[in-house]
Amino acid sequence: MCVGLSAKVVKIKDKGTVLVDASGAKREVAASLLDHLEPGDYVMVHAGTAIAKITDDDGHETDNLLDHLL
Amino acid sequence: MKQNHQMSAPLRRAIDFLKTYDGPEVRIMEVCGTHTHEIFKQGIRQLLSPKITLISGPGCPVCVTPAGYIDRAVALALDHGVTVCTFGDLMRVPGTEMSLSMARGRGGDVRVVYAPEDAEKLAAEHPEKPFAFLSVGFETTTPSSCLAVDHAIRDGLDNFTLLTANKTMPAAYEAMKNSTDLFLYPGHVHAITGLADVKKMQQEGVSGVVAGFTAGELITALAIAVKKYGEGVPFYVNAYPRVVTDEGSPEAKQLVAKYMEPCDAWWRGIGMLPDSGMRLKKAYARFDAAERYALPEGNGKDNPGCHCGDVLQGRCRPEDCPLFGTVCTPVHPTGACMVSSEGACSAYYLYGGEK
Ligand code: SF4
Repeated sequence: MCVGLSAKVVKIKDKGTVLVDASGAKREVAASLLDHLEPGDYVMVHAGTAIAKITDDDGHETDNLLDHLL
Repeated sequence: MKQNHQMSAPLRRAIDFLKTYDGPEVRIMEVCGTHTHEIFKQGIRQLLSPKITLISGPGCPVCVTPAGYIDRAVALALDHGVTVCTFGDLMRVPGTEMSLSMARGRGGDVRVVYAPEDAEKLAAEHPEKPFAFLSVGFETTTPSSCLAVDHAIRDGLDNFTLLTANKTMPAAYEAMKNSTDLFLYPGHVHAITGLADVKKMQQEGVSGVVAGFTAGELITALAIAVKKYGEGVPFYVNAYPRVVTDEGSPEAKQLVAKYMEPCDAWWRGIGMLPDSGMRLKKAYARFDAAERYALPEGNGKDNPGCHCGDVLQGRCRPEDCPLFGTVCTPVHPTGACMVSSEGACSAYYLYGGEK
């Protein structure tokens, strides 16, 4: 239940709802906690609500973090 | 780790560092159940030098939900005729006498939903029936429950309630800080809360790294944790900035603050932690199933043989529990840590133990 899914916004619906695609599974989720979503954005979904925008890809980010460290 | 032929040079260096680490011994608690499972699934434990020990902490909301809560949910279904809507993981968690799936077998209307919003929609479609959503979870799921109440108000519903057992992680960090050298903080929780809590822990001398959930993110977070630990100064690092920002989600925090307030909460196997729970404010008592149906308090009784409390606090490994893998298996779980897909016992059972 506590597992978050990263998903791509496919379509903006009305009333704070967006259609997302999570690895091929499409679903409507609540998006009223996030402003300015656009199709193509990536979001983190928990319990049917998009809780955060994802701003980068993980490989790029981990490389940046590690480059300074090791 | 699973084969990844495109592994970057920095990631390779991180793996080499973790494999060959020969500094002071370090214990790292992965507070979050999803971290525990991903670490096993990706084979990351095999990458760690013997000087690095991972401890599975209390960060699975199902595992820390007390038997007394299940008893109340069962009472809603069987004694009050309420349609109980829940995430699937809670179905088989043992209560004092029975689980929710047993209550369903005895005629209770218990339904599995994907989101609190789905329960609210069911209530809107069936105004003649009372509905209760089992609101269990940490900071990541609490906003969804509050959104469902928000929509119940919008839709003018009088047949929708929450049975709350929502919890907040900082109380768990405080309670666990002496069981570990540092924390792997759950990234999604901090997507909501921001970094204030981890900074506060650092000021108290407790170190940790906010970690994401992919193999690369977990390896990165572990390498940072071990490297920084060697420097001997309390630290925090946000190793998940693509999702976690300094301030977190003001919208989610405002939504939760509108409908809920902190309360003391009982954690299965750990006990009462002050101000570690969230309940509906008095102004919204009509959406509170415990108030509305005058459900009695009661902590319920866990199976006395179950060592979940020690497992959740990092005092023993699942394999040290005498019931592990014999009496207690995912098919016939004795304790919540074996029921939940995020529980430490289920992870050890599924992925074959320590190494
Ligand atoms: S193996 Fe089962 S009984 Fe033992 S601690 Fe884990 S859940 Fe509890």
